[in-house]
Formats: sequence, C-alpha cells, structure tokens
Amino acid sequence: MIHVEHLTKDYRRVKRREGLFGNLRTLFSAEYEPLRAVNDLSFDIAEGELVGYIGPNGAGKSTSIKMLCGILVPSSGRIEVNGLVPHKNRMANALQIGAVFGQKTQLWWDVPVIESLRLFRDIYKVPEPVYRQNLEMFNDLLGLHEFRDAPVRQLSLGQRMRADMAAALIHNPHLLFLDEPMIGVDVVVKERLRTFIQQVNRERKVTVILTTHDMVDIEKVCSRIMIIDHGQIVYDGDLERIRERYGTTRTLVIEFEESVPDFDAPHARLVKSEGRRKWFAFNRLETSPSALIAHISARYPVADLAVEEPDIEEIVRTVYRGGGPQEAAR
Amino acid sequence: MKLFWSFTRQAFHNTVVYRVEFWIRLVSILLAMYSIRAVWQTLYTQRPDAFGLTLGQMVTYGVLGMALHAFIDTGSEWYIATQVRTGAIDTDLLKPIDFHVHMLARNLGEMLFGMGVMALPTYAIGYFVFGLQLPPDAGAAGLFALSVLLGFLVQFHLGFLLGSVAFATLDIRSIAWAYFAVISFFSGQMVPLWMFPDGLRAVAEILPLQAVYYIPMSIYIGTYSGTAAWSALGFQALWALILAGVARLAWHQVHRRLTVQGG
Repeated sequence: MIHVEHLTKDYRRVKRREGLFGNLRTLFSAEYEPLRAVNDLSFDIAEGELVGYIGPNGAGKSTSIKMLCGILVPSSGRIEVNGLVPHKNRMANALQIGAVFGQKTQLWWDVPVIESLRLFRDIYKVPEPVYRQNLEMFNDLLGLHEFRDAPVRQLSLGQRMRADMAAALIHNPHLLFLDEPMIGVDVVVKERLRTFIQQVNRERKVTVILTTHDMVDIEKVCSRIMIIDHGQIVYDGDLERIRERYGTTRTLVIEFEESVPDFDAPHARLVKSEGRRKWFAFNRLETSPSALIAHISARYPVADLAVEEPDIEEIVRTVYRGGGPQEAAR
Repeated sequence: MKLFWSFTRQAFHNTVVYRVEFWIRLVSILLAMYSIRAVWQTLYTQRPDAFGLTLGQMVTYGVLGMALHAFIDTGSEWYIATQVRTGAIDTDLLKPIDFHVHMLARNLGEMLFGMGVMALPTYAIGYFVFGLQLPPDAGAAGLFALSVLLGFLVQFHLGFLLGSVAFATLDIRSIAWAYFAVISFFSGQMVPLWMFPDGLRAVAEILPLQAVYYIPMSIYIGTYSGTAAWSALGFQALWALILAGVARLAWHQVHRRLTVQGG
C-alpha cells in the first residue's frame, strides 16, 4: 500500500537576527539555515494495517505525512502510495486518501458542516447513494446529526474533530492519515473516535496511519507502531515486541510489617522509600521477581507486595532518548 | 460546471453570516455612486464640452464603475495569502482538484454570488436614483456581459499571482496596498483612459488593467462598438490567457518549493 525508500526532506529557514536592526538587515540579505526534517526514511505499510506513527514534536511526522499526501515534494528518495507517486499525481492520489490534520480544519469556518460536506461530495464526485450511505454511518457512529447544521466556528473541539473525520471519509478513501486527531479532545469523544477508527479499519478495510501523543490511543487502537525521531525510524514493530525489548524494567513494591533501614538487593536497586514501603527496580532479564521476593522476605517480614510493569509511555520515552535495551534496564 | 455552482452556493452560505457587513458595503457603494455623480455634474456645469461625452454617459461610466467594483474583485489574493500564512493551504492541496481550477471555481462562485446580491441591487438603484443609462442596444449589452467575464478573469489571475507572492514573503499587505493604488488608477475605474495625459495613457493601454474596468464600461456606454469592441475583447482574452499561463507556471514553481507553516 505504502512504500517509502530513503525519503529525505530539507527545508530552508531564514535565520532571524535579533532586534530591530537585525530585522532590517534580514530585508536586504537573508541568511538561510538548512533544516533536515526527514532523514533517509524507509518503511512499508501493507493494506489494512492500523499503524501508530509516533515521535516527539518536530520529529518529522507531519512532514512525512504531507509528502505521502502529495502536498510537499520530497528533496530525495522514493514514495509510492497504492502505486502512485503522490507529488507527481497529487490529484489522483488525493482521491484515494483522506486526512485529518488535528490542528487545522478543512471545513469552511462560517458555513454549516453539512454544506461543507456537500461541497466535498461535488469535489470528489461522490455518487449520491454512496454519499447518503456515508452520512448515515457518520450519524450512527459520530453523531453527526447533532451538529450538522451548525457552522464550524460554533462547534466544540470534539464536534469539530468528528466533523473533520466525516469530511476525510466522505469519498471512501483506501487510506486514512490522522495527524493528531485527538488533540484537546475529552475522554468520551476520544473513546468514540477510537472505536470509529477501528471500525473503519476493520469493516471498510481502510489502511490507517495515526499520529498521536497519547499512548493510550496506540495501545487501544494500533496493531503496529513506528517511532520516528530526528527524521528517522527508531522503532518499527508491534507493541508486544517493544515491551519485550525496551520494557524490561520492573518495579517491585514491598510493604514491610515495620519500618526497616534502606538496603540493596542483588540485581535490584532501591529507587524510593516511603514509610514502611520500598520500591526496587530490576531488570527481568537479570533476575526474576520470585528470586528477589525470596531474598527480601528472608531478611524482613513482608506485609504486602506488587510488581509494576512500565507503562507504554515510559517505554516510548526511553526510545525517544535513544536508549537501547541495555539503557532501558538501568 | 456543477463545481462552480457548488462554490456559488458555498459563497452564499459564507456571506449570509455577515449581514451587517453586507449592509455596510451596500451603503458605502451607494455613497460612492452619489459622490462620483456629484463630481461629474459639477465639472459639466463648468465646462460642458471638455470631456467628449454627454453628462449622461459620463455619470453612467462612473456609477457603473461602482456597481462593477461590487463583484468583479473577489479578493483571491487574500484567500491564498491567508492560507499560506496560517498553513491551511495543505487542506486545499489535499483535495483532488487542481489548485488553479479550485481557486477559479471558488472566485467565480463568489463573483456570481456578488453579482446577484450586490451588483444587481446597486445597478437598480443606480438606474432609478443616480441616472445610470441602459446600454445603447441589446448587442452592446451582450458584449458587455462577455467583457465583464473576461475582465473578471484578468482580475482573478492578477490576484492569484499577487497571492502567490505570499509563498515567498508570507505577508502581502504592503504589496497589495501598492497594487490596489495602481489598479484603481490604471484600470480606468474612476476616470476613463482617454482623459489621461499622453504618456500615462500609453502606459495604461499596454497594461492588462484596463481589461478589468475600462473596456467593459466603454462597451457599455457605447464608445467601443463594432470592430473596436471586438478588438478590445480580443485584448482582454489575450491578457486573460497570458496571465493564466503565467499563473500556472508560477504555481508550479511555488508548489515545488512549498513549505507548510505550523508543522
């Protein structure tokens, strides 16, 4: 479905000089600094996949998605989307993709939502029965009918995202790009959008690429995640594997029957101590929780205990920092 | 064609929201009509033969200029510049429609809407209140309509090019300000070109700007008729074609270098 090979995008940014005189000088002789937003990026996505595309701000996520949409022209490298080169066949490509850019709306600001959808129907030349059928689905799953006659500027953020989602799917695209569609949306709407995305992926066989900063989205929705940083893929695979590889740190929380002095256990490190409770971090590849518990309970009487797994957010943070499996364990 | 109609409908929805603005614009156009008539009447009482036209024709020219102004300039440059500055241009490029055609459809839609809602009322008021005359015959009326359409195309493409400058500069306010000063003068919206001193007139006759106001209005009042009218239409069509070509070339360059604001 998507084939990306050695994709690179350089920007030129005007170097700002400080102060009024600096600004005036920029008028006459601008200095540019190059900025590499995407650096030798390669990946493949198969039909029907639901990929979480994540990375810190400025990692190159949006830039690469815009190249896949044909909006931006790559500096070098190859892209193919369903057999088309997006920036060379922008219009043909646009027919097979839909996109939501969470920070911007593609709907007309002052016009009722339904009128924008009608216009898109005409732009995409959607046959009337298909259009009606889609509207019905949006009513059922997104509650579109609740706000379809209100202009976009009067919508809440959650309603706007739902409307934008409808606009992105009005023409039955094969591929859906969601660039932070959950930004600023409350929990209820988030849940609704997640279900909707999954349903669209499953029932309509739409391939989805989802960019988000909320790891819960990724955990609940995606079957595969790609992590990008400094314009390059740093992890590509399923969630289980990322847990295995990077999430090897566990925390053992022990509540003792009485307060005890601080101590270290073999292959474990005391990270926190609070009243009768202590937190030990260990790498499950180096020691097992049962060995650790046996060792500790032999020294002091234990009242209660729990083993905590790192959450996905923590793991991803480790990956962002460029930590390999070893570093993650420390 | 259906697409143009869709955009017209959209322009309607977009504008009904701003009812107050509509009334303010209508009133300001009527004020301008009133004052331009007052100026010509005063000038004609002082020197009735100095202008080569009857007072009726001259008032028609001035008042018609205001009615045309109400819809022929759809401000395509502002739309493009805003989309570029805010980065919303990517939502336009997401659509399976050529950007140039998209802008044309959008602005033609707005023009048709402006014609129905702004120009026809002001024209009617011009006719009943300010002494606006009808064209000499039905043929002239037909040529006038064609000429307005061509004038719109010239105006649209100039705006498109001006808006494209925003891709390099991000802000076009100062350039637009200079552009409006030049167009309202050289297009002959206020004063017909034949009243210009020779040097300026030569410049005005080469520039495409006369295609926007001067040519349609000269056809309307009958100073261009027959062969002169047709060759004026040819001039408009030629410029519309040239500018469309340049606009497409410019857009092609712009798209290659496009950077989208705001990530």
